[in-house]
Amino acid sequence: MRLGFRPTSFSLKYRDQRSSIGMCLTETLDEMVSTGTLSPELAYQVLVQFDKSMTEALETQVKSKVSVKGHLHTYRFCDNVWTFILQDAVFKSEDRLEQVKRVKIVACDSKLLTQ
Amino acid sequence: MATNVSAVYIHVVDDVISKVREEFVNYGAGESVLNELQALWEMKMMQCGAISDVERSSLRKNAAPITPVHDLNVPYEGPAEEYETPTAEMLFPPTPLQTPIQTPLPGTADTAMYNIPTGASDYAPSPISDIRNSIDLKAGRPSPYMQPPSPWMSQRPLGVDVNVAYVEGREEAGDSSHQSMTQDFFVNSTGKRKRDDYASRLNSGGYVPQQDGSGDVTVEFSLPQNAVTQGQKSSIRDGQGTANFKFYFDKDAKPTPVIPQHDGIHDDYDDIFQFQGVSSEDYNTPGDHVEIRAATPSVGTPKPGKNEAAEDDEPSLNEDDDDDELDDLDQEEDEPNTQHLVLALFDKVTRTKSRWKCTLKDGIMHLNNRDILFNKATGEFEF
Repeated sequence: MRLGFRPTSFSLKYRDQRSSIGMCLTETLDEMVSTGTLSPELAYQVLVQFDKSMTEALETQVKSKVSVKGHLHTYRFCDNVWTFILQDAVFKSEDRLEQVKRVKIVACDSKLLTQ
Repeated sequence: MATNVSAVYIHVVDDVISKVREEFVNYGAGESVLNELQALWEMKMMQCGAISDVERSSLRKNAAPITPVHDLNVPYEGPAEEYETPTAEMLFPPTPLQTPIQTPLPGTADTAMYNIPTGASDYAPSPISDIRNSIDLKAGRPSPYMQPPSPWMSQRPLGVDVNVAYVEGREEAGDSSHQSMTQDFFVNSTGKRKRDDYASRLNSGGYVPQQDGSGDVTVEFSLPQNAVTQGQKSSIRDGQGTANFKFYFDKDAKPTPVIPQHDGIHDDYDDIFQFQGVSSEDYNTPGDHVEIRAATPSVGTPKPGKNEAAEDDEPSLNEDDDDDELDDLDQEEDEPNTQHLVLALFDKVTRTKSRWKCTLKDGIMHLNNRDILFNKATGEFEF
C-alpha cells in the first residue's frame, strides 16, 4: 500500500526515496499510516524532514570522491533530469572499486534544487 | 566506507527523529509513535544491510517493545543473504506469541493441543481436531488401515504406464494399417545411409541389433523378393523403453513420394497429407481453402497446403527474435534487488563528439547491493 502523496522536489522523488534509507523510511511510513498509527500529514512531514536531513548529511558528512568510467548506452535529458545508462561501468573511490555490468545514473540539476 | 555510510544513515535517522519530534507533539501523536517509527525504520535498514548491526545496537533498546511487528516482516524484507548479522534477540524475541507452535512428534501427539484453538471440550472433540488427529495418525504411525500404502504407491506409476502403453498401442494399430507409414518410420529412425549399409550386410546375416544404451532399438530386416511390405512393431519389451522393431521390407518397392515430417510440430502431417481433401482444412483459412480447391481440385491442393503449413510454423520458431539482451536487462531493472543505481545531483554535463563528461555531487550509489555515498563524482563515458 502506497501513500497518496507525491513528493514535490526532485531530490525527494529521484534521490532519497530510491536509496536504501529512503525506501526503508517510505515503507515504514506506509505501514504506520495503513495501520492507523500515523496520520498521512505527519508522515509527509517526516519525509520532508528526511529530505532535508539527507541532503545536509550528504553535503556535510560525506567527503568521498568517486570517478565513474564506462560505455554510455543511453542518455536522456528530460525535465532537468539527466539519465545515463552505462554498461561495464567502473566506479572508483579512494578505497574501493566496484564494477557493474549495467548501471543507471539519475541526476537532477543541482541549481534547481531549492531547499 | 561502509561504516561511513552506516554512520551517515544513523546520523540522518537521529536528525530526522529529533527534528520531527516537535511536529509529532503538535499533531498529538505520542512519543511512542515516534519511537515506533524510528525502530521500524532502523530495523528495515538493518535487514536490507544499509546499516550495520553494531552501530545501532545501542538504539535497539528503543525498538524492543515493537520487535514483534518487525519480525513478522522479516521474510519479506530484503534479500536473504543480507540477513548475515541479525541478533538472536531480533530473530526470536522473547514474546510468547512469537513462539512457533511445534509440530508434535508422531508418537507423542496430544489431542489436547489441537483442541485449544477450536475451543472444543475434551469430551466432544471438534471435527477439526478429529481430522487433525487422524492426519497425524496416518502420517506418523502406520495404522492397520495404512497397510495398503505400498500397493497404493506402486499402483500409481503402473496406472500411468498403462496409459502410455495404450496410446502407443493405438499408434501401432494406425501404423500397421498404412504401408507407407511404416516406411516413413523406418527412414526416419535409421537414416538413408545407414539403411544402405545394413541392406548390404543383411544379405548374409539379416539381423542387425543396434544397442547403444539409450532407447535401444533392435531392427530386424528380412528381404523377401516379392513380399508385400509390411510393418510390424513388437510390443515394448521392458520398462526401460527398449523395443524391438521388425521390418519386413521389400527392397524393390520404392517408397512412395511422401516425405515424412517428424520434427515435433505437426508430426501427423503425413497422415493428413495423404488424405488431402480433409487435411488442407487444418492449415488454411476457410476462405483460402475454398479458393485453392476451386482452382486445383485434386492434384494442386497438397502443395499450397504444405507451403502454408510451413509458413505457419515459421512464426513459432522465430517469435522471440526481437528479445535481445538489452530487453532482458530492462526487465531486470524492475527488480529492486538486482538494480544498480546512482542517484545524485549534476553540476555539469558536457559532450565532445562521443565523449561525455559529467560532474555529480551529493549522490547515493546502490551498487552490488550496497550503498555508497559520495560528495563529488566525475564521470567519463564513451557513447
